[in-house]
Amino acid sequence: MSFIGNRVLAIAQKEIFHVVRDPFTLALSIALPIFIVIVFGFAIEFNVKNIPLAVFDNDNTQMSRYLTDTFGKSNYFIVKNVTSPASAIQSIMSNRDRAALIIPGDFQKNLFAGRSASVQLLLDGSDNSTVAPILSYLASIQGIAGKRLANFDPPQILNLKTRFLFNGELNSRWFVVPGLMVVIMAILSVLLTALTVAQEWENGSMELLLSTPAEPLEIIAGKLIPYAILSLAAVVFVYVVSKVVFEIPFRGSFLVFGLGALLFLLTYLAQGLLISVLTRSQHVAMQFAMMTGLLPAQLLSGFIFPIESMPTFFRYFTMILPARWFMVISRESYLKGSNIVDLWVPFLVLIILCWLMIYFAVKKFKTDLEP
Amino acid sequence: MISISLFRGFFRKEFIQALRDPRMKFILFVAPLVQLFLFGVAISTDVKNVRLWVRPEAKDYVLQHVYEHCIASKWFLPKTNNRDRDPFDLLSGGKIDAALVSPPGGLTKSVGRGTGDLQLLVDATNVIQAQSVVLYIKNIANRVIIQDLNLQPPDNPIDFSIRVLFNPTLQTSYFMVPGVMCLLMCVVAVVLTNIAITREKERGTLEMLISAPISSTDVILGKTIPYVVIAMLNVPLILAAAIFLFGVPMRGSLLVLVLASLAFVCTSVAIGTLISTFAKNQQQSMLGSILFLFPAIMFSGLIFPLENMPTVMKWASFLDPLSHFLMLLRNIMLKGGEPYFVALHIGILVLMAVFFTYVSFKRFRTTLQ
Repeated sequence: MSFIGNRVLAIAQKEIFHVVRDPFTLALSIALPIFIVIVFGFAIEFNVKNIPLAVFDNDNTQMSRYLTDTFGKSNYFIVKNVTSPASAIQSIMSNRDRAALIIPGDFQKNLFAGRSASVQLLLDGSDNSTVAPILSYLASIQGIAGKRLANFDPPQILNLKTRFLFNGELNSRWFVVPGLMVVIMAILSVLLTALTVAQEWENGSMELLLSTPAEPLEIIAGKLIPYAILSLAAVVFVYVVSKVVFEIPFRGSFLVFGLGALLFLLTYLAQGLLISVLTRSQHVAMQFAMMTGLLPAQLLSGFIFPIESMPTFFRYFTMILPARWFMVISRESYLKGSNIVDLWVPFLVLIILCWLMIYFAVKKFKTDLEP
Repeated sequence: MISISLFRGFFRKEFIQALRDPRMKFILFVAPLVQLFLFGVAISTDVKNVRLWVRPEAKDYVLQHVYEHCIASKWFLPKTNNRDRDPFDLLSGGKIDAALVSPPGGLTKSVGRGTGDLQLLVDATNVIQAQSVVLYIKNIANRVIIQDLNLQPPDNPIDFSIRVLFNPTLQTSYFMVPGVMCLLMCVVAVVLTNIAITREKERGTLEMLISAPISSTDVILGKTIPYVVIAMLNVPLILAAAIFLFGVPMRGSLLVLVLASLAFVCTSVAIGTLISTFAKNQQQSMLGSILFLFPAIMFSGLIFPLENMPTVMKWASFLDPLSHFLMLLRNIMLKGGEPYFVALHIGILVLMAVFFTYVSFKRFRTTLQ
C-alpha cells in the first residue's frame, strides 16, 4: 500500500471546503468550547457557602441567641427562624433549607449549670455533596461557640500546618477550567467526524471515494487532518480564555501540552470516524457518539469525580478513555508545569489508543470494500 | 383535533421506524441500563486512595501511628519508598498526592511539649481532593495523639447532636443514581425526537406529510407523542434497576414519580422538537442537541452543587428542566415527596413543555411558508 500525500491533501481540501461552506458547524465548533468554558468556569464553585439553615429556638435566651448568631456570622449559613420543630423538618422536606438547628428549652440553664448543653442539628442527606462540607463547618462552629458562650478554650493538641501546592488558595477555577476544556473538546471532536462521515455514507459519496485509487488510510488521514486543525484551533482559543478571563497560570511547556492535545483530539476524531464506518447511518452514529462521548467524558474522565475513588474495575476501565489521559496532561501542564518525563504514561497510552482507533477504522474500511 | 385512527397510523409508523434497526433497540433500552449501572457504581464524590508519603523514622512512634491509621482508614495508599527524596519533587512529579513532614526532632517530641507541629503538603491540583485530605488527616492525627498520650481532652460544653436525614449512612448511590437516571432519560428523549424529525425534514418526507389533508397540529402531535411513549418505556426499567440493584429507597408514591417523569419526558421531547425546527440537517440537529444537553447536564446539580453559583447562573439552572427533575426525583425517592414542592416543580416542567411545544409549533408553521 502506497501512502500518497497528494491524495491525502485532495481529500483534506474537500473536507475543508465542506467545513467552510457550513458556517454553522465552523462557528459552533469554535464558539461552543469558549462559551462552555466561560459559563461554567464562573459557575462551578466547590466552596459551599450561604447554606440556608432553619432555626427553632425553644429557649429564646441570651445564650441561645448567641449560638444562633454564631451560625449566622460564620458566613457559611443563612439563618431563618421557624416556629416549631415540625416546620423546620418541613422546610428541609421541601428543599427550602439544607439544615436545621433545634435549640431545646433548657439550653441556657444547662450551660450555666455547667452541664453539657445539647442542641440538635438535622442535615439534608439527599444531597451528599453538601453534607461533608457542612459537617466540617459544624466542627469549627462548635469550637467557636464553646469559646464565645462558655469560655471553653482547651489547649490545641495538634497544629497541622497545611501547604496547598500548585493552587495555594484552592481556587475552584484553576481546577475546573483545564478540565472543562478536555471534556468539551472530547465531545465535540467525536461528533465532528462521526456526523460528517456518516452523512457521506448516506449520500453515497463515500462509495464513490472508495472507487478512486485512494487507499483507506489516505482517506482516513484526509478526513482527520482538517478536523484536527479545527479542533486544535478551538483548544488555542480556550487557552486564551483561560489566560485572559480566568488568569489561570500555565506553568508547563506548550510543546508538551500541544502534543498531548493533538494526540487526544486525533484519538477522538478517529473514534468518531470508526463509529461512522461501523454504523453508516447518521442517527445511529449520533446515538453511539452521544453514548461513548458525552456522558463518559463528563462523568468518568476524572473531571469532577476522582478516578482514584472508583472501584478497581473502573480504575482500569477508564483507561480506555482518552479524556482521562489528557485530563492529567492538561491539569499538570497548567498547574504543576510537569515535563514529558513526568507525563510519559499518559502520552504512551494516548499514542496506543490513537493508533488503535485509526487501525480499526482503516481495517473496517477495507472489509467494507469487499462485496 | 387529532383523530384516533390517524394517531394510530402515526404511532405505528414511528414505533416501527424507531425500533426497526436492532441497534436502536439496543441504544434505547439496553444502553441506558448499562450506563446506569456503570455510572451508578463508578462515580462518587468521596475521596479515596490518596497516595500519602511519609519519611519513616523508627523512633517517632506517634508519626508512625498516625501514618498507620491513615493507611488503615482506606482513604490513603502507602508510599514509603523514595524516603530520601524531597517531597516537593515527588509531588511535582506526580508520584504522590500528599506528604506528612514531621518537625525537626520528630512529632513524638513535639507532642510531648504540648502542641504537636505537623506539616502536611498537599497537591491542590484537585481542589476537592485537597480539602478532603486535610480533614481526614486532621481527624486521624488528633485521635491518634489523644490515644497515644492517653489524654482526656475536656468536652466542649456545647454539644452538637448531628443527624443526617434521609440518608444517614451517606450512601453515594442514593444521591448519584437518581441523578444518572434523569441524565439518561433526558439524553434519550431529546436526541431521539430531534433526529427523527430532522431526518424526515432532510429526506423531504415531512413536506409530503404536510401536503396531506391533516393540520400541522396533527403532524406535530403525531410525531412527538410516540416518542414520549418510547421514552416513558425506559422509566420502569431504570427505576427497577435503581431500586433493586442499587437499593435506592422509594419513599414516595410511584404514581407521583411516574407523573413527574411524564412531565419531564414531555419537556425533553418538546425541546428535541424545537431543536429540530432550527436544524437544516442531522449534523446541525446533533450539534443543537449538544448545545442544549451539555449545559443542561452541567446545571442539573449532579456534577457540582448549585447553591454556590453566582445569581445569574442560578437563574440559568432554574431554566434547566434537568435540575427540576433531579430535585423531584431526589425529593420523591428519598424524602417521600413533599406535596407542595412536588406540585410546584411538576408545574414548572409542564409550563416548560407547553411553552416549548407552542414555540416549536409556531416555528414549524412559519418554516412551511
